[in-house]
Amino acid sequence: MSDAVIPAATTAAPTVRSPLGEFWKRLLRQKLAMFAAGVLAVLVFSAAFAPWIAPYDPTAADYEQILAPPSAAHWAGTDAFGRDILSRIVYGGRISLAVGFLSVSIGGIVGIALGLIAGFYGRWLDSLIMRASDVLFAFPGILLAIGVIAILGPGIDNVIYAVAVFSVPTFARLVRGSTLALKHAPYVDAARATGVKNRWLMLRHILPGTLPSVIVYFSMRVGTSILTAAALSFIGLGAQPPSPEWGAMLADGRSFLGVASHVTLYPGLAIFVTVLAFNLLGDGLRDALDPKLKNA
Amino acid sequence: MRHMSRVLATTALVAAVTLGGPFAEAKTLVVGVADNLTTLDPANANDTLSGGAARVVLQGLYGFDSNMQLEPLLATSYEANADATEFTFHLRKGVKFHDGTDFNAEAVKINIDRVRDPKVPTKRQSLVSMVDHVEVIDPLTVKVVLKEPFGAMVNNLAHAGLFMISPAAIAKYGKDIDRNPVGTGPFIFKKWSGDLFEAVKNPNYWREGYPKVDGVTFKSVPENGSRIAMLQAGEASFVYPLPSELAPVVTANKNLEVVKVPSIIIRYVAMNTMKKPFDDVRVREALNYAVDKNAFCKVVYGGYCKPAEGPVPDLLKYSTAVQKGGWPYDPKKAKALLAEAGYPNGFETEMFSKNNSTYIRAMQFLQQQFAQVGVKLTVTPLEAGVEAQRIWSVAEPKDATVQTQYGGWSASTGDIDWALRPLFYGKGFPPKLFNVAYYKSEKTDTGIEAGIATADDAKRTSEYAAVQKQIWSDAPWIFLTDDQILVGQAKGLSGAFAAPDGGLNFEKAAFK
Repeated sequence: MSDAVIPAATTAAPTVRSPLGEFWKRLLRQKLAMFAAGVLAVLVFSAAFAPWIAPYDPTAADYEQILAPPSAAHWAGTDAFGRDILSRIVYGGRISLAVGFLSVSIGGIVGIALGLIAGFYGRWLDSLIMRASDVLFAFPGILLAIGVIAILGPGIDNVIYAVAVFSVPTFARLVRGSTLALKHAPYVDAARATGVKNRWLMLRHILPGTLPSVIVYFSMRVGTSILTAAALSFIGLGAQPPSPEWGAMLADGRSFLGVASHVTLYPGLAIFVTVLAFNLLGDGLRDALDPKLKNA
Repeated sequence: MRHMSRVLATTALVAAVTLGGPFAEAKTLVVGVADNLTTLDPANANDTLSGGAARVVLQGLYGFDSNMQLEPLLATSYEANADATEFTFHLRKGVKFHDGTDFNAEAVKINIDRVRDPKVPTKRQSLVSMVDHVEVIDPLTVKVVLKEPFGAMVNNLAHAGLFMISPAAIAKYGKDIDRNPVGTGPFIFKKWSGDLFEAVKNPNYWREGYPKVDGVTFKSVPENGSRIAMLQAGEASFVYPLPSELAPVVTANKNLEVVKVPSIIIRYVAMNTMKKPFDDVRVREALNYAVDKNAFCKVVYGGYCKPAEGPVPDLLKYSTAVQKGGWPYDPKKAKALLAEAGYPNGFETEMFSKNNSTYIRAMQFLQQQFAQVGVKLTVTPLEAGVEAQRIWSVAEPKDATVQTQYGGWSASTGDIDWALRPLFYGKGFPPKLFNVAYYKSEKTDTGIEAGIATADDAKRTSEYAAVQKQIWSDAPWIFLTDDQILVGQAKGLSGAFAAPDGGLNFEKAAFK
């Protein structure tokens, strides 16, 4: 049996794919991750084109339609001010997605830079950065974020910084690990031997090697950040009224749980679906990027 | 086997209790409330709820009925002199405290002196700070002599802060009287720990035929949903407060009912009249026109309130309905007034309030209404400590950062003076009193002073009517609504009520 297969395989060998092509091929095979990516694409699209997609103005109150259950006119019902919940969720997606991406991007850039420096230079710089990260790690993420908000004051901008702060140490540790492993890889040694400068070595030769783990972590982290931002808004530290931020919508609807559950149900669903999609996509990316799983 | 019999015995017991029958006719009334009691010494309580628990065990010379009208309790009648400086009370005969001590003029003197004692200040000292001395005329007659005229003295003495406590118990317990109340009330104090307060029937109660229940128990359940669940499960027969958004849940249950009580709580937005643009009366009028009060009721209080018809809640004596139906809603007129005042495109401003969800909802609603006339409002909910710092402890009016403040006020002495003086008196700016609008009008000030300087009904009526008209036309507030208080209770329960100031009363509670 195997005898018959080997010649066939060798004949097919000549086409050499680029690493990116390999990655795409493997990613496309992850059905669930692709589905999650599709969901996210819809979310991003609807957030970007919210004014055209949302059926109503998200802040327009209609006091004749307070707490109306879902109907043909209002697919997700209306809230305590008679505002259309679906429209608010669509607009709120802008805030939640922006907060997720921005906070993780800021945290990621700072964390990656610190991780590269720590891993590459080692010695006291490494100790300093890693011990500082350990201190941040000692706090649960949400507590750290609340602390940052306490200093900066409530508001959605500050939530971005708060969530960024607690993303920094994880990125730093992740990148430092990869950097340590890559620092003495033969191709890096070779580059160093030809006289490439440190800065260039880090950016050009080591950083790309750390990216697979960073990308995976990034996508998962966006989900967590959205959740944290919603939680902060829920307890009144994040988005302020009348912002249609999803967590703030949950908080608004909480008092009506007994009489109008749709006010909390739909924003809750939005958060749930978005976070789940980011996590599934992250899982898929990990499977597609991790060389160890390649032959599994 | 022994285990089995115990189970059977328990089951039988449970059956006996739940199935009722002749033995269970009178039972203990369980009351679900939102907060823990702070103290059982009402002279040191500043929350209405603790006063309500104290009222189970203690009572004053006078009390308030369910319409906030004075009702004689330990006194049967009183006389006042014309300048309102001397009040003579005739006391009820044959009343004894729970520890057997006689209730008499001496006990009244000891109690009033205890609350006003400058050496041991109590939180409710201000209720009797105008008292010069208390005279015992005979065992059943006592005269309260004031330093200055104060027409609302009987109301002040009807406040929970002046409940009568056994002199023997005051001597015995000293400072611990706040955990060991001994009074003349319909129930005898049993125990109080954390979230549970219990009192049992007083068999020697002076009012013939009462009390009709075996005891009263308070359970503190802060979570709204759980408190309503207790009512639904029959674990409690009386639940206060009932949040308006959950009223439909109670209405839908055929064993329960929602009781609406018109309150003496008024909702308003105070505008800082010393700051631009609120120094212009046209701006203040414009914002009054800009808010739809009926929609406010519907959105913020689930329909359980009514537009304010004057600066003082309807139910208070001497209150005047300055404008029937409340300040009219007319956004066009609001815009015209703003343009006239030099703000054709509106302006930006900020509003402070407490940070609970109902208050935030109210401010969001106002934000939407202001936007209709071009006024951009930033909503700033403040945590209690921050609120105290930013609003109540500002020493100089010019340092006040408050532009507008959404709030509510309950005049818990049941007299109009306490609804006007703290909020509109020119000498009552924070930190002294609560005039956040920094409103000062000579006419209002002299009227407030004249109204309290007499006990003559006709004179008080005319003085206060003028004051209320003046305030309404000066519009230092956006006059919003008078609240309704909501109580959820079991259908068979009667006689238990929340008074218009939120004070609970169970003296005549009975189950059908």
